[in-house]
Amino acid sequence: MSIMEYCGAAIVAMVGKDCVAIASDKRLGQQQLTVDMEFQKVFPITERTYIGLSGLATDVKTLHDRLRMRVNLYKHREERVIEPKTFTHLLSHMLYERRFGSYFISPVVAGLDKNNRPYICALDTIGCIDSSSDFVVCGTAATNLYGACESLWEPDLGPEELFETISQTLLSSIDRDAMSGWGAVVHIITPSGVITRDLKSRMD
Amino acid sequence: MDAQFAIVGRDFAISVTDTGVSRSIVKMKHNQDKSWQLTPYTIMTVTGEPGDIEMFSEYIQSNIKLYSVRNAQDLTPKEIANFIRGELAEALRSRNAFSVNLLVTGFDKVTGEASLYRIDYLASMAKVPFGSHATPSFILYSVLDREYTPDITLEQGLEIVKKCIAALKTRFVVDMPEFTVKVVDAQGTRSIDIVQV
Amino acid sequence: MSSLLSHEIGYSAPIEVHNHGFSPYVNNEGTSLGICGEDFVLVASDTRQSNGGYSINARRSPKAFELSNRTVIATTGCAADAKQLVEDMEQRAQYYVHKHGREMSTPAMAQVLSQLLYTRRFFPYYVFPIFAGLDAKGKGAVYNYDAIGNIECVSHYAYGSAAALLQPFLDNQINKAHQRGADTTAKPSRAQAVKLAIDAFTSATERDIYTGDWLEIFIVDSEGVHKLTRELKHD
Repeated sequence: MSIMEYCGAAIVAMVGKDCVAIASDKRLGQQQLTVDMEFQKVFPITERTYIGLSGLATDVKTLHDRLRMRVNLYKHREERVIEPKTFTHLLSHMLYERRFGSYFISPVVAGLDKNNRPYICALDTIGCIDSSSDFVVCGTAATNLYGACESLWEPDLGPEELFETISQTLLSSIDRDAMSGWGAVVHIITPSGVITRDLKSRMD
Repeated sequence: MDAQFAIVGRDFAISVTDTGVSRSIVKMKHNQDKSWQLTPYTIMTVTGEPGDIEMFSEYIQSNIKLYSVRNAQDLTPKEIANFIRGELAEALRSRNAFSVNLLVTGFDKVTGEASLYRIDYLASMAKVPFGSHATPSFILYSVLDREYTPDITLEQGLEIVKKCIAALKTRFVVDMPEFTVKVVDAQGTRSIDIVQV
Repeated sequence: MSSLLSHEIGYSAPIEVHNHGFSPYVNNEGTSLGICGEDFVLVASDTRQSNGGYSINARRSPKAFELSNRTVIATTGCAADAKQLVEDMEQRAQYYVHKHGREMSTPAMAQVLSQLLYTRRFFPYYVFPIFAGLDAKGKGAVYNYDAIGNIECVSHYAYGSAAALLQPFLDNQINKAHQRGADTTAKPSRAQAVKLAIDAFTSATERDIYTGDWLEIFIVDSEGVHKLTRELKHD
């Protein structure tokens, strides 16, 4: 089994009208054994930029810790909050730094920039940025998520509609993936703040 | 084939390990305490590669002791768990990784809460209500999933421990005659005689 | 001895070497789905045929077939095996008509398909069929099988290269999974089913390189089998 499928994850980010959403499942596994049902995979980087880290759990933590340090350094040096796009390039360089011994992580970034324009992107394990204007997915349920997103997503959804769409997409996808699920969490990032909701799901 | 598990209630944690040390088919020792006292309110149980266990655990124990001496203040269980994880993660990507699985149980005097951090040899860390490692975990998790509720008392917790040990004795191929049971709560840490349980 | 001789005269006859073993199977990819309605069933397949690489063997090679005027079968896997399997089925259906003077019922044919697959338990047809038809009461029934005849009667199912893309969407739209307050027992109307099938395949075509070109939709109702064709992306 691939090391990228060792822990299991389903992460999706979507663009809405003046808002973005990022959602993930909560399972931490060791292959078929479920170890934790409250594992955090989506982290706030700034008040309006979030990152989802899918892949090996140890690197989820290592990378998040290192990112937190780099973002704080940026804040102190620049005396301003990092923009989602700038953050993505910071992340990309951090990943490529380990080109020949990479972090086993494929991240997803979602945020609003200073003009409240939505920004989402996905990266591969060595930091290749794949930005998108509709949705990005990663994790063991990526194929399922692609199918569901491709059919359910539509442009210019408001925060509540976007919440419904991303929730339906994620829940339908994790039900057909044995490696992810066991609860989910959704963050809707809007100019006036972030709405975070936990979702119940099948526990099998 | 070490058995190792722990459970957490609101204000206590119970940590259990078997006492056997074996190499291949030979049992080398049958009274090994696999738990390490880190602070008066934190213990960790360690299983895995015997040499790595000793090296890593002593390193961790010494450094946490050093912190306490230097700062006249103990690290909280959360801080300890994060420190351990950091050290393990750094070692993982070096030439000398440690094959150790850990359960860090502790009581935070400030918040009044007990906690358990499950850290595996890859340095994957999770804060869990109950945890276990390696092959016996397949048996133990099914018992723990069925019996555990967040609001258990210490007595109920020890009942669950009994059931876990019973399950290991009946269903696990490796014979485990003895276990170390340790409780962490507001009074500190103490051993509990399994016969008494 | 002979090699010594050939060295002496400085010439050796070319020897044909067959060091690649014969592989009896090929996955021709593509996607099929089945949706069950109250008084109709729908099966849909794309018509692209590939072999798991970057080339396209054929853009219009159907893998869904009409078996009788109330049953259809959609396949994925090895196209050659699928063709043989469908011929087997047709033969069994014909034999039944000659023997009993009437057409086999849909559940009976579903069972026959399972048995046919199992007869080749140790050298299976590399086919994953979806069989659909109307039962004796005129109600829709969709069955899916694995290559060795495990059978399941379902409300909807997707097989093939884009199955993982289609299935969560169908679960959500047909079983109304996770839709709070929705009637989870209601079956889709005919118009809904056709719309879902087209939507599902246009979406799958966006992400799966093995699905595309043309979409063939078979709808079976009390009047018989109706066939629709839609164009999908050709890239």
